[in-house]
Amino acid sequence: MNVEEYISSGIVETCVLGLASPDETEEFERMCAAHSEVRAARDSFELRLETNLLREATQPPKELKSRIFSEIGMESEEKAVQTASRPKPVLIPRAGYARYVAAASFILLAGSVLINLYLLNQYKKSIAQYQELLSSQNVLVQNNQVLQTRLESFQTAISLMKNPDMAIVKLGAVEGSPAPHGMATVYWNSQSKDVYLLVNQLPKPSSEKQYQLWAMVDGKPVDAGMIDMNEAAPFMKLKNIPRAEAFAITLEKKGGSPVPTMDALYVMGKVTG
Amino acid sequence: MGITGTYTEQELIQALKARDEQAFSYLYDHYSGPLYNIILQIVRKTEVAGDTLQEVFINIWRKIDSYDPLKGRLFTWMLNISRNAAIDMLRSKNYQNSLKNQEITENVYSIDQASQPSYDQIGLMKVLGKLRPEQRVLIELAYFKGYTQEEIAEIEEIPLGTVKTRIRNALIQLRELIK
Repeated sequence: MNVEEYISSGIVETCVLGLASPDETEEFERMCAAHSEVRAARDSFELRLETNLLREATQPPKELKSRIFSEIGMESEEKAVQTASRPKPVLIPRAGYARYVAAASFILLAGSVLINLYLLNQYKKSIAQYQELLSSQNVLVQNNQVLQTRLESFQTAISLMKNPDMAIVKLGAVEGSPAPHGMATVYWNSQSKDVYLLVNQLPKPSSEKQYQLWAMVDGKPVDAGMIDMNEAAPFMKLKNIPRAEAFAITLEKKGGSPVPTMDALYVMGKVTG
Repeated sequence: MGITGTYTEQELIQALKARDEQAFSYLYDHYSGPLYNIILQIVRKTEVAGDTLQEVFINIWRKIDSYDPLKGRLFTWMLNISRNAAIDMLRSKNYQNSLKNQEITENVYSIDQASQPSYDQIGLMKVLGKLRPEQRVLIELAYFKGYTQEEIAEIEEIPLGTVKTRIRNALIQLRELIK
């Protein structure tokens, strides 16, 4: 069988349409490889068949294409995962989400700043109030101390007056005294010989002058101590006088004089009994 | 690299072997019609034909590397895949069972033969209609039913040599008919 006969035998069409036996197909492939005429005959029939059948198309159901593509799409994705180690997708939050986060952060920050300002203000107020309370408490403590001291001195005065050993010497204004209504009282402990003075009424001396108590012992004045008119306690303790006939008060220069200035004799009183 | 518009056969094959989905989309748009037509003529049921076509295109995608351009055109390769898939479908138990059920319902409701879609007026069958009846029967059995020439000889009770000759002659005529 020559090539011409082989081509016109119908084997070309049989093989192209897939109706040939395996032996026939094998021989046909050999012939195609060996003879360009056989190849040309095959190509020609194939092209005619294709052209003809393309004209005889029937449209398959429309959804079929997407079904096929979703199946091969999944397949190619699986392959991609198997063959290449893809970089892991980085989680990028969507712009909208980021905007919400930013807005929420800003609101929280602003709120925090406002709360902090409020708290700072409150803190400053509290500090001021605390300082106020502290100073007023100091004042109260000081006042309390003053009161305490005065109370103690009054208690001392009461106990002095209650003491049965206490001799009382009233000093009244003398003839020609600068203070006609002047008056003082000496409380003299007959046991301890301590002298306490209560100024009932004496004019306030100038800043360079000071009252001085004298004890008359055997007709001579003996210094019995300087009188501090600023003393808060009612009784002021003066010098210990063992014995005396009378007590007198003169106004002397500040710090006292060794001898009384008789011109400035204010009050005087005799010791009775 | 997407190639838009039309492809030459060589470009198309290259793109398909590179797993280019755009090329595959073009392939489907261009060839699904004639392939669906052939499948429909074999299985004669639109639902089954759709499933078969799906299987065919998935196989084309998967087996494109096994296609050898030296052995024939891409369309010929796809046509043979489609015919083989349709014949496999035809012989599957599911298809045979559904055919029996259809016969029963047809008998019960005595559906008019004219209402059945005619697959003899489309595609290759239309061309075959121009053949002589004894040739046409053999081509139908061989091409559309997938019987081997030995099986056809048995079915038709004619010698194998006669079967071969008649089919060859029918195909030579077919070549002339599709010019």
